[in-house]
Amino acid sequence: MKQIESACLIDDDHIFIFAAKKILLATDICENFTVYNNGADAIEGLNEKIKSGHDVPELILLDINMPIMDGWQFLDEFIKIKYPKKITLYIVSSSIDPVDIKKAKEYEAITDFIIKPITRKNLINMVSAVSKKE
Amino acid sequence: MKELYNQLFQNHGTKDNINYTYMDSIQRDIAIGSWEVNLQNNEVTWSAMTKTIHEVEQDYNPSLEEGINFFLEGYDSELIGILFNRAVEKQEPYDNEVQLKTAKNNIKWVRIVAYPVIKNDATQKVIGIIQDITEKNKTLFELKLKEELIRTTFDNAPNAMALVSLDGQILTSNKSFSDYLGYTKEELIGFPINTLSHPEDVDLIPQNIKALITGKINKFQCEKRYIRKDKSIIHCLLSVSILRDENFKPVHFISHLIDITKRTIANKKVETLLKTTKQQNERLLNFAHIVSHNLRSHSGNIQMLLDLMYSETPEATNNEYVPLILEAVNQLSETIDNLNQVSTIKDNKEQDLQRCNLLDYINKAISNFSAEIKETKAIININIEQDIYVLAIPAYLDSILFNFISNALKYKRDHIIPEITLSAEQSDKFIKIEIEDNGLGINLDLHKDKIFGLYKTFHNHKEAKGLGLYITKNQIEAMHGKVKVKSKINKGTIFSIYLKHETN
Repeated sequence: MKQIESACLIDDDHIFIFAAKKILLATDICENFTVYNNGADAIEGLNEKIKSGHDVPELILLDINMPIMDGWQFLDEFIKIKYPKKITLYIVSSSIDPVDIKKAKEYEAITDFIIKPITRKNLINMVSAVSKKE
Repeated sequence: MKELYNQLFQNHGTKDNINYTYMDSIQRDIAIGSWEVNLQNNEVTWSAMTKTIHEVEQDYNPSLEEGINFFLEGYDSELIGILFNRAVEKQEPYDNEVQLKTAKNNIKWVRIVAYPVIKNDATQKVIGIIQDITEKNKTLFELKLKEELIRTTFDNAPNAMALVSLDGQILTSNKSFSDYLGYTKEELIGFPINTLSHPEDVDLIPQNIKALITGKINKFQCEKRYIRKDKSIIHCLLSVSILRDENFKPVHFISHLIDITKRTIANKKVETLLKTTKQQNERLLNFAHIVSHNLRSHSGNIQMLLDLMYSETPEATNNEYVPLILEAVNQLSETIDNLNQVSTIKDNKEQDLQRCNLLDYINKAISNFSAEIKETKAIININIEQDIYVLAIPAYLDSILFNFISNALKYKRDHIIPEITLSAEQSDKFIKIEIEDNGLGINLDLHKDKIFGLYKTFHNHKEAKGLGLYITKNQIEAMHGKVKVKSKINKGTIFSIYLKHETN
């Protein structure tokens, strides 16, 4: 049961990427992934996709602590871009710092703040949020 | 003065009645009387004022001996006796201050001036004046006393004082000044006071001195360092005022020093300590952040990988090791969460506290344990009025109630149905919440000091981790509350939690 076309993982932790991909594949949620290891790469990649007419991902899982451009900086750029369709964005972070959680609430673009580790159940919930929006 | 005396004597010698009366009135006005001893017939003549000074009737006429006997017995009358004889025999005039006792037994200070009158090398008579100087002497004595008082105060003051000339030289200084700076008074007098200043503090003064001299300010105060004779530094609180004469002309400065070296050193210590504490706090926060983020991401990854292993390669997990690794990593995650909770408790300002309905929070906390309550058949008694509100951070209040109720259920006695009673009462300052159980109890004789300590456990219970009470106590204190405990082994435990309420 493929539910979404493509998901985008923005995280510098390759173990997390590996595991997240596995879970998404194992649950048949999604087959196409785009992976970026920091915020700057992600912004550049998304912009290129829009320019070249490629589909943008429906779901983004965004880490906060990353080199070069962190999750917050990415968000500040992300909200400036016009997208051809609605993108559901989750913060997925190891941080349980209340400051981060509070900050996440200030961004309208963020659907929710998920504390790592993610589980199958988490992921299914996230995907169902994407379907609901449509 | 002498001219006046002569005039007085000359006029005294005439028989002119008008003049006589006139002279008497002058004598009265200046409180000076005249007297005369005629050596030819030993006749003594006192003017009206002289009689007034002696407080005798105006018709009184003393003999020579009687006259001398008015002076105080002993020193005074003997002195006058000797002086009078010398005036007669050696023709020496005299001028002395002595005391006499009047006819009305009052003691007076008088000035006696005598001149021998000589004719043909022989002393004919001795004439003189007598002046009542009691008042003047009294004033003098008072002045002297006052001067003495000021001098003693100045000399023995616990703080250093110096009089400083307008050009900055020390005119005089007291003992404390010498004690403070290690120089003797002799060394200090005439010394330019600013050479004692710490070189970096010399500039503190000139501007103020100018303002003092021009009268713009009356005094000024500053903290200033001085160099002692042994080159060590003394920190002082300096206050300088200025003395002016009756024409408002500056006379000299009065410098007053208080040794604040100890205070300054103590302040520095406190500052350093504060800085160290701040740095340590920052480091602790950094550490908390590392715990919160970095460690969590590693343990989270291991949990995720194990999760995948279980679903994708279940055969690989079918051994003794993997379940133990899973257990270990779960415990690691929990410990990290707990530690993070500890490090994020911080002192909260009163205005950050919210008004929380106690009964609602307690009901909510209890609802978390419905399964355990059912399983253990626990009896829960709630004696709390609906209208009790406490000032709290909602998350802390949740956590505190959760912890105490959880403990009460966890540390129950075997085969005894747990009974938990929650009650609350309001006092002036606090709402006191009591949570009483009939469980295992804690040996307070043994554990009194560490019951709320970090990683302290009191039972061999498999779920005891020794973190709950530590976190709870810290959360209560962060809300300006307190917690007390009463307990008996195999009887039960009562925790009393005091939280602020709105009226204060």
